[in-house]
Amino acid sequence: MRDNITASFAARKLWELVISLKLTIVCLSLLMLLVVACTLAQVQLGTMAAVNLYMRSFLVWWQVPGTGWSLAIFPGGATVGLVLMVNLAAAQAHRLERSWRKAGIWIVHAGLILLFVGEFVTGVFQVETQLAIEEGQTVNHVEHPREQELAVIDVTDPAWDVVHSIPEGLLADGGVIQLPGTPVALRVRRFWENAQLSVPGPGFQPVANMGVGGNVQVQPLRPVSSDDRTNQPAAVIEPVAAGLSYGFWLVSGQLGAPQQFIHEGRTYSMAMRPRRQYLPYSMTLKKFSHDVYEGTTIPKNFSSLVQLSNPGKGEAREVLIYMNQPLRYGGKAFYQASFGKNDTLSILQVVENPGWLLPYISCSLVGLGLMVHFGISLRRSLRRRAAAAEA
Amino acid sequence: MKLSKLGPWVVGALAMAWVASGLLPSRPVRGMDLDAFGRLPVLEGGRIKPIDSVARNSLLMIRSQMSFRFEEEQGGQKRAHTVGADEWILDVLFRQEVADAQPAFVINDPDVLSLIGQKLSQSNRYFAFKEIRPFLGEIQGQAAAAEPIDTKQRNRFQGAIVNLYQRIDLYLRLQNTVQVPGGRPLAEELATASEPSARERQSLLASAAFFRPLPPQGDLQANWRSVGEALGDAAGGGPSDPGLTSLARVGAAWRSGDAAGFRLAVTELRALGVAARPEAVAHGDHEVVFNRVDPFYSGMVIYVATLLLVFASWLWRPGLLQGSAFALLVAGTVVHTGGLVSRVILQGRPPVTNLYSSAVFVGWGAVVLGLILERIYRKGFGTAVAASAGFASLIVAHHLTGDGDTMEMMRAVLDSNFWLATHVTTITIGYSGTFLAGAIAIAWALRKHLAPSLLPETDKTLVSMAYGVICFALFFSFIGTVLGGIWADQSWGRFWGWDPKENGALLIVLWNAIILHARWGGYIRDRGIMTMAIFGNVITALSWFGVNMLGVGLHSYGFMDKAFWSLSAFCGSQLLLMAVALAPRRFWRGAGGGGAGAGKKAAGVA
Repeated sequence: MRDNITASFAARKLWELVISLKLTIVCLSLLMLLVVACTLAQVQLGTMAAVNLYMRSFLVWWQVPGTGWSLAIFPGGATVGLVLMVNLAAAQAHRLERSWRKAGIWIVHAGLILLFVGEFVTGVFQVETQLAIEEGQTVNHVEHPREQELAVIDVTDPAWDVVHSIPEGLLADGGVIQLPGTPVALRVRRFWENAQLSVPGPGFQPVANMGVGGNVQVQPLRPVSSDDRTNQPAAVIEPVAAGLSYGFWLVSGQLGAPQQFIHEGRTYSMAMRPRRQYLPYSMTLKKFSHDVYEGTTIPKNFSSLVQLSNPGKGEAREVLIYMNQPLRYGGKAFYQASFGKNDTLSILQVVENPGWLLPYISCSLVGLGLMVHFGISLRRSLRRRAAAAEA
Repeated sequence: MKLSKLGPWVVGALAMAWVASGLLPSRPVRGMDLDAFGRLPVLEGGRIKPIDSVARNSLLMIRSQMSFRFEEEQGGQKRAHTVGADEWILDVLFRQEVADAQPAFVINDPDVLSLIGQKLSQSNRYFAFKEIRPFLGEIQGQAAAAEPIDTKQRNRFQGAIVNLYQRIDLYLRLQNTVQVPGGRPLAEELATASEPSARERQSLLASAAFFRPLPPQGDLQANWRSVGEALGDAAGGGPSDPGLTSLARVGAAWRSGDAAGFRLAVTELRALGVAARPEAVAHGDHEVVFNRVDPFYSGMVIYVATLLLVFASWLWRPGLLQGSAFALLVAGTVVHTGGLVSRVILQGRPPVTNLYSSAVFVGWGAVVLGLILERIYRKGFGTAVAASAGFASLIVAHHLTGDGDTMEMMRAVLDSNFWLATHVTTITIGYSGTFLAGAIAIAWALRKHLAPSLLPETDKTLVSMAYGVICFALFFSFIGTVLGGIWADQSWGRFWGWDPKENGALLIVLWNAIILHARWGGYIRDRGIMTMAIFGNVITALSWFGVNMLGVGLHSYGFMDKAFWSLSAFCGSQLLLMAVALAPRRFWRGAGGGGAGAGKKAAGVA
């Protein structure tokens, strides 16, 4: 009985806490601190790493110097966001009066909840890839610029390639990887998350005995996290088929040309490359334009004239992608991001985010709500002043 | 009674007349009319502008001032006079030996001074190019060593030497725009354009030219040309550009002091411009008016006068002076608004396009809000707060002009009038509101300590003013932030990228939200609101300027490194004012008459 009372007392206290305005203020303050920390950390870590550390995490971990331990020292952005959302929803349901006077606040809070949901959806589901395309070239895949894959391609048939792609993560796990539909298996002998290849120096120990890898020195590097640098993974692979080893091969994106071995008359080509995702449609770059202001080098506009063709839907049309004007197609949005090769190469940023519409809805709601609320308040205040002036 | 009705009108009219007096053309120099010359349109930095603007911006960059005193020897007689930007650029273009002797360069860094054999202790910090010339090799070497270092990593000397080198480079490019210094005058160059020896000078003139003075003749698609390009075309057998002949005559007349010839040649150039690009000539005329009136400088002066009048009104004849102060504020607002509108028209862009214009606009927003508050509450506080906010932001803007042309062209991503108009303008209004609330809070805090008696009613007025302004600021900063997100989604594919500038905007939203929620929850009262509103100044200043100093992210368009100490000093002063606001009641001067809420202890924020 007594336990029951204590329990219900504790539950009531907890509920009071959950709906309290104090919790709101604490959460907002924590969020401010996180935002400040995240902003300052960007100078050292780069935006992505800082955001992952402070914002897209449930706890902020601190690596104790000199030990391998990590301590959770602060709630992360995800925790604070969730608590704030629960607090908002609970307070809304319980504390706020349901009246027209508070209609503005209701709309604002509904919009805010949607904004949090949108940020969660983005954090979990958003995929950013790139599409690099040269003038005249046709491309039907996008690439993950920060991830690599080992592509093993059966190139025997000149009309037809069979592509097996092994993501970087699978290589990192090591072991033996069977290529489905073939007698070939790959044994991962070594893997480096980030490594630089160079010309052999004194005391050189080859890691591979086949292909160009025998004459290349592998220098392991610390994995990088900043936005403008990417890891260059490398691995030593031993293709095995029918109990026969084809030797140790070094694979890395820095090697350039693919390396080949032949088993039972079939030629397999191996290369590390940015991880690809194939599209059910293709794009051909007809023209890339880079305009500058007259007499200067200040860029005025970048644009890509692209032929979009989707045989599955019988679609074939021209699209102009330029600054502030992305192409939204097939759940993906294509943005003009960069260029190269003397203005003949266009790089499009490709973003897939199922929740991209949520912020639009939520901000309309919040804007409307704030306007309604402050409008009501202002009218009340003016009336009061008028009454006071009359009195 | 009558005086207090009439006074404000007179004061306002006087202020407007003073501003309008700026429209009068400058006095002729050596009998020559510089006004018409300054209006000639040229192409520089991708934008068509009058020579007057090129001259002002260049002199501002090189000397940090738009005019200077100079003693010139003429026929054995020394003649001291003030050299304006138009006269200076004519000398740079056509009388290079005179320009080289003018003290156009300012050098403040002690290490750079010692590099050119000067000491800091000397009262003179202004140097002529001929004093610097012997050290050019050394300056170039030092600058070349410092230039590869990232702007943020440079020490003071490295920053100063690179800056000096850039200014020398600008000066030399200006000198090589029309004719090569020490070479032939333009008329002779034109006559001998096809000689083989001229080829080298032509390509030098084409590559070094700082601006392009020759509008395309006929063809609408053609480009503006530099003197070097036009000479080269003439040498290649093309038709000679009639502008070259006139430009040569302008130079010759300026050298010889032939006032009639100068006027004639300038008129010819203008006629050629009207024939080729009438809209460019009209634009030049408008921009010259804008340059002359210098609305943001005039506005600054009027705001200071307003502030002084308000202070005086609290001591003497409040009826007359408060009204006059309000009239001055209105005059200042009119000038400020006029300046903003002219910029919008001249640039064909919404009001905020860079850090400079954001400062101008923040001030404008605060002033207009303050005007409205003054109409509602009529205590003089609105006027005082609006005038100080307007003055402060225009001072900040003034210090941001050092980068040269404040109407530069927009880089590709920013080239979107729609988003500049919506996102940038709303977020800047949000800054205005937060600063205004902070300013009201400072007035409240200082009043507690300075005013001999405290009327609870006035106290309440200030608090409700601040509260209303915070609501306003929250609305605009939230909408502005989210619109920024939408812009980012449109151009980079992510709604929210946790970019420093976005985070800064978010901090302002969060802070205003915290203040309001703490107030609604009853955790803070008057004093709490006011103290927190002052801290809002710190947050806004940091997110406005501070994040630009980090030098990361997509918003690094407005990078600046010099203002670090000013920003720190500002934040420090705000913290001090917060302490003043929190100081217990016994420190107040008029402690006797505290209002209902004023005396109670303000609960802190969790």
